[in-house]
Amino acid sequence: MIRISGLSKKFGDLVVFENINTHILKGECVAVIGPSGTGKSVFFRTIAMLEKPDSGHIFIKGVDITQKAVNINQIREKMGMVYQGFHLFSHLNVLDNITLAPQLVKKQNKDNAERKAMELLSLVGLAEKANSYPHQLSGGQQQRIAIARSLAMEPEIILFDEPTSALDPTMTSEVLSIIRKLTKMGLTLLIVTHEMNFAKEIANRIFYIDEGGIYEEGTPTEIFDHPKKEKTKAFINKLKVFSYQIQSRNFDHVKMNAEIEIFCQKYNLGAKQVYRIQLFLEELILVIFANCFKIATPNIEIAISYSDETTETTVMVTYQANNFNPFHFEKEDPDNLGMNLITRMSKKYEHHCEKDLNTVHVKL
Amino acid sequence: MTGFLDNIIDSIHKNLLVGDAYLIVLKGLWITISISVLSLFFGTILGGILCSLRMSKIKLLKVAAHFVIAVLRGSPVLLILMILYYVVFADSRIDAVYIAVTAFALNSGAHIAELMRSSLEAVDKKQLEAARMLGFSKTGAFFAITIPQAGKIAKPVYQSVIVNLIQWTSVVGYVTITDLTRTVNNIGARTGDPFFALFFGVLIYLGLSYAVFGLFSIGRKRGESR
Repeated sequence: MIRISGLSKKFGDLVVFENINTHILKGECVAVIGPSGTGKSVFFRTIAMLEKPDSGHIFIKGVDITQKAVNINQIREKMGMVYQGFHLFSHLNVLDNITLAPQLVKKQNKDNAERKAMELLSLVGLAEKANSYPHQLSGGQQQRIAIARSLAMEPEIILFDEPTSALDPTMTSEVLSIIRKLTKMGLTLLIVTHEMNFAKEIANRIFYIDEGGIYEEGTPTEIFDHPKKEKTKAFINKLKVFSYQIQSRNFDHVKMNAEIEIFCQKYNLGAKQVYRIQLFLEELILVIFANCFKIATPNIEIAISYSDETTETTVMVTYQANNFNPFHFEKEDPDNLGMNLITRMSKKYEHHCEKDLNTVHVKL
Repeated sequence: MTGFLDNIIDSIHKNLLVGDAYLIVLKGLWITISISVLSLFFGTILGGILCSLRMSKIKLLKVAAHFVIAVLRGSPVLLILMILYYVVFADSRIDAVYIAVTAFALNSGAHIAELMRSSLEAVDKKQLEAARMLGFSKTGAFFAITIPQAGKIAKPVYQSVIVNLIQWTSVVGYVTITDLTRTVNNIGARTGDPFFALFFGVLIYLGLSYAVFGLFSIGRKRGESR
């Protein structure tokens, strides 16, 4: 369906990607993942010829669309794109948004176009919004309309460029459930996404994009559970483990707490549990500060991981100092309120010290 | 109170009815409207041309259009009118009304060109791209997306351009045209009651302005608040 050979794109001196070769079959669902700024969007825009490649060829159903003689408008009729920012036509209502292209490009008559549009609206669950204007709808609703608009041209390929990045979690699941439906309709789908669980579930192939190309590709199990190459491993690991370094007594604890919260949201941890983790770490850090880094510059590393199976949060803290066990204290010592607190909060804890490197393992 | 009313009735009689003066007022009004409508028509065409030159990819055309627009927008319309009447067309027999139309078309054309340009540039490029991805050609997307959206953005400013234009035509008396302003001024001078005549003139201009706003609000659909 899509064959790409030797595709390269530069912006001035900046190489966005170089020598991409791949073949995507009809009916495949490919999830494209990777750190931001690695050219995932530009890659998609190039496949649609919205950006001209510097070299290489893109074959859509055997037609090389990088050739000047090709009527790109006809190709694009078969290739939809759904954007992060929806980009619905703001001057038209929902129904007209969907029927505009079928009427003007495909020359369908009004009745047919509208009948089709209403079918698509019921598919995305928004038939009652046919006469609303885009600005009256929520982000998730707008995105579902954008999908319907794209489907109205009966495309064979749809490119989703971060379709849920601008949406909150409820709206995200609205949109994802629609995309899930599409995978069953035999369409060829390419999706740039940060929703890793979703990518794992629906894609039959994953592209990990980094270093100016498809750095590693494979099935979801290959990429998520057994990544082979270094950067992929680091990327996948980062999804599973939250890490933070403290190198000053006046470290930015607000930022740390915010990052913990974002990490926990990925695993749907409740606000109460997030608060527990934050409180625990704050107390633990204070105890370590008070006992190990009264004068010296602190050097503490924090790693948090969460296991879906045991629903347990594991906190690992390492610090360079004389042997100090934060869980070992004289009972009933009022000065050790912090230690008392962290001990009671943890389900299981252990501490060991090797050559001044203290490691604390805690299960919360 | 009755004294005041009597005064007004007397003034109306004196200013508008004696010697069928209201017919002269209507004639002046007709001149004002004609100049305005013709200037707007040609001004809009000129604006479209200037705007497309200004946005053209050829540098020379772009700079030239920019220069013309800057000169026309920067100079007082009355001076342009006088230059056209007393210098450019001094020896010709062209009717002063046509010269006035030329002057106002040039002036409003320049304003309309900039209005069109800023409206076109304000249209969301991403929506245009979305249209291209649905298979629209460049021209197709321009007519289906850009024009309707730019039109909507331009509408309120276009209204004030028209109202401004109508009001500025009141200076055509300088080049011997007997428009609405000149007419009411003449009547005031004749009757020695300038207050009533001039005030009456203002009322008619106000009426014209509101007629323009009224015309524009026809056909505005509900729900289309943006």
